Amino acid sequence: MKPVVLAFETSCDETAVAVVRGNEVLSNVLSSQVELHARFGGVVPEVAARAHIEAIRSLTHRAMVDAGLHTDDLDAVAATEGPGLVGALLVGFSFAKATAWARQLPFVGVDHMEGHLMAPRIDHEETFRPPAVSLLVSGGHSEIVFVRDWGDYEVLGRTIDDAAGEAFDKLARVMGLGFPGGPAIDAASEGGDPRAVPFPRALPDRPYDFSFSGLKTAVTTFIDKASRAGDLPPLADVAASLQEAIVDVLVEKTFRAVDDTGVRVVSGGGGVLANRRLRARMAEEADKRGVALCLPPPVLATDNAAMIGVAAVHHLALGHVSDWSTGVDPGLRLG
Amino acid sequence: MKIVAVSTSTPKSSVALAEGRDVVAAAERIDRRGHASFLVPALDFCFDQAGWVPADVDAVVVDVGPGLYTGLRVGLATAQGLAGAVGAQLVPAVSLDALALRATTGHRHIVAIVDVRRGELAVAGYRPVPGGVVRDGAPQLVTPDRLRALLESDPGEVLLVGDVPVLSEETLRGLHRVKVGRPRYPSAEALVDIGARMVEKDSAPHPDEVRPFYLRDPDVTINWAMLRREGPWPGQP
Ligand SMILES: [Zn+2]
Repeated sequence: MKPVVLAFETSCDETAVAVVRGNEVLSNVLSSQVELHARFGGVVPEVAARAHIEAIRSLTHRAMVDAGLHTDDLDAVAATEGPGLVGALLVGFSFAKATAWARQLPFVGVDHMEGHLMAPRIDHEETFRPPAVSLLVSGGHSEIVFVRDWGDYEVLGRTIDDAAGEAFDKLARVMGLGFPGGPAIDAASEGGDPRAVPFPRALPDRPYDFSFSGLKTAVTTFIDKASRAGDLPPLADVAASLQEAIVDVLVEKTFRAVDDTGVRVVSGGGGVLANRRLRARMAEEADKRGVALCLPPPVLATDNAAMIGVAAVHHLALGHVSDWSTGVDPGLRLG
Repeated sequence: MKIVAVSTSTPKSSVALAEGRDVVAAAERIDRRGHASFLVPALDFCFDQAGWVPADVDAVVVDVGPGLYTGLRVGLATAQGLAGAVGAQLVPAVSLDALALRATTGHRHIVAIVDVRRGELAVAGYRPVPGGVVRDGAPQLVTPDRLRALLESDPGEVLLVGDVPVLSEETLRGLHRVKVGRPRYPSAEALVDIGARMVEKDSAPHPDEVRPFYLRDPDVTINWAMLRREGPWPGQP
C-alpha cells in the first residue's frame, strides 16, 4: 500500500506543495520568490514569510488539481520542520498541520536535509539503497553524509565557512553577474576553459570539510590585478575556472568518502546539484569506480515539496508520526 | 451555524467554538512564542469538549492583526488549512475590533491598542453603540508619544484597552480623562460575534483576499553593496 501524501516545503524562499504516492510524484508546484529577493541581494526572512502566506492556499489547490485528487484521497500530510527561517517554516507547517488535523490524517514533520537526501528515491527507486555517500550542497548547506542506513546518517564533513551556493552567490557578485549566483555562473561558463586560471583548492589537510572564503579572495584579487594590467581573460574562462575550483573540491572530497567507506552508491541533493559541470564530473568519477550515481533531476535537487513527501512516506512506513503539539525546529541538524 | 475562531496576533493564543453566537468551548494560553504548538492541540481539545468533528464547521474566523507578524501568520495559516480541508468559509477579523468589542463602558470613547513592537502600537478609536461598537476610521500605527497626543486631543472621556502594560508610565501620566480598562488582549470569543455578523451579512471576502493586516512594510533596505554591480568585462550581459 503506497500512501498518498500532501507535502509542504517553506523553509526558505520557495513556497512548494506536492502530492506523492509512495515514491511517485503526482504533482509538484512551487511559487519562487527569487525575483522578489534579487532586489535585496539575498533572502529577507520577513519578505519570505509574507510571500509564503500569500501563496500557500492557492498553490495547495493547484497541487491537488494537478494530481487529479480530492482531499478524501489523501493518506497523510507532511511539512518541513527545519532547518530554515522560523517565520517561513511556520507558515507551511501550520497550514499542513491544520489540514491534517481537519481530515484526521497522520501528520509528519520532515527534516529538510533528509528531504534532499531522499529526493533521488523518486527517480532511482531500485538503485538508491544504503549504504551510500550523499553530497548535500545548497545556498545554506554543504555536507558530505554517510548514509549507513535510512535514518542512520553520519555527517562526515561540512563547510567551515560559506556554503557552496553562498560561494557561488558571492563570486557572481564579484564578477558583476546577478543573484542567485549558481545559475548565473553556470551560464557564464558556457564554452569557457576550466583550466584557464588556476584558482586555489582549499583544505587539503581535512579530508571531507570544505572552505570557500579563500576562493572569493583569490578571485577578487585576480580580477583586480588582471583588470589593472589590461589582460583580463574572457568572462567564460574565469567563470569556468572558478566553477571548476568549487566543483573539484566537492567531487574530490565526495569520492574520497566513497573510497574510504567502500560504498557502491553515491547520491546528492540541494540547489548546487543543478550545476551542469558538477553533475558531469560526478558522473565521470562514478563511472571510473563503477559505483551507481543517483542524482535527482535539477527540479528535484533545488528546494521542492516532493522530496518532503517522499521522506514522509518513508517515516509513515516506520510508523513515525508527529503529534499535534509539534513545533518547527529552525536549527535541526541531520545525523 | 458552527463557527471556529482563532486569535494569535498577540502573546495570547486563543480558540473558541460557537453555535451561532453561543460559545460552546474555548481555550487560551499566554506565551509569545507558543502559538504553533498551542493551536491544533487546543482545537482538538475544544472539539472533544463540544462533541464536534471538523467536518461540521461552517466558518473559521481568524484574527488577521495588526499584531505580532509570526503569530498572526500562524493563526491565518492554521485557519486557511482548516477551512480549506473541510470546505468552510474563511472570515477575517481585526484584532483591535475584537478588543474594543469586549471593552465594557457605558459612554466612554474606546481607544484600543495592540503592541506591534519596535516602539510602535497599532491603534483605533471606537464609539459604543447599542449592541456593539463602531470604529472611527482605519487603524493606524503610532509611537507612544503620538498615542499620548491622540488621547490628550480627545475632548471626551476615554477608555483605553489593549496592551497598556507595555507603555511606560510617562505615556499616560496626568491624563485624567483616560481610564485604563480590559481586555488586555483580543480573544477568539470576541471574534465569534464579528465572524457571525459577517457570515450573516454574506460580507466575507474571497479566501484569497484574506491576508495578514500588517500595517507596515517589511523592515528591509536594499543592500546596494550586495546587488549586481558593473562587471569588469566590457559588454557583459
Ligand atoms: Zn534546501
